Amino acid sequence: MQIIHLAAEAATQVSQISGNLGVIGYGLAAIGPGIGVGLVVSKTIESIARQPELASRLQVTMWLGIAFTEALALIGLATPFIFTA
Amino acid sequence: MFDDVNSVMKRVSWLGALLVAMIAVVASFIGFFVAGISGILAAWAGSAAAFAFTALTVLSVLFGSKMKIGGLLALVLGGWLIKMILFLVIFSYLNQADWLVSAARPIVFFTVVAAVIGGLVLDTWVVNKARLSPEVKLP
Repeated sequence: MQIIHLAAEAATQVSQISGNLGVIGYGLAAIGPGIGVGLVVSKTIESIARQPELASRLQVTMWLGIAFTEALALIGLATPFIFTA
Repeated sequence: MFDDVNSVMKRVSWLGALLVAMIAVVASFIGFFVAGISGILAAWAGSAAAFAFTALTVLSVLFGSKMKIGGLLALVLGGWLIKMILFLVIFSYLNQADWLVSAARPIVFFTVVAAVIGGLVLDTWVVNKARLSPEVKLP
């Protein structure tokens, strides 16, 4: 009985939450590409440390990886223009 | 003749600017028929935002490649951070702008998507065409 009472109380509190859902959207748009770009850069640095003579080739490949990853972020940030409340 | 990071990034910047200009022209026509003058402004805003977003990455790699490895990391990741904040501000301004009527709002989104996808195709093409050599110093 206690659990049911707590669940009902939690549901009431959730329904009282107010604010802009766009904030959550921004977070979701930023988190994935943020991790992706971090991974791409860290692996490039690791590779350049192993083979410094390939630096320029690796940097260009890194940039291509970043460009693909951050496209998601840009599209995510632009979604409020089509998804309106 | 081999390419280096400099020449690849410069080529991508010029071709990218050209592509975005073409997309802006096409999107302006579509925007005008959909939402009049507001549609044209929406197309310009969308293509300018997409170009600035991709061009800032190109610039960060271009200048970062001239630095030591820590500088590359700081410029690329720091540039990413600043860019996200900048675009949050720009898009939140556009979202509340009076001149952007509701019919013109999808024009911004679809122009951004077209410019980003077109830019990615162009980037891949330029990188595949580039002749990058290993920097081996012969004795």
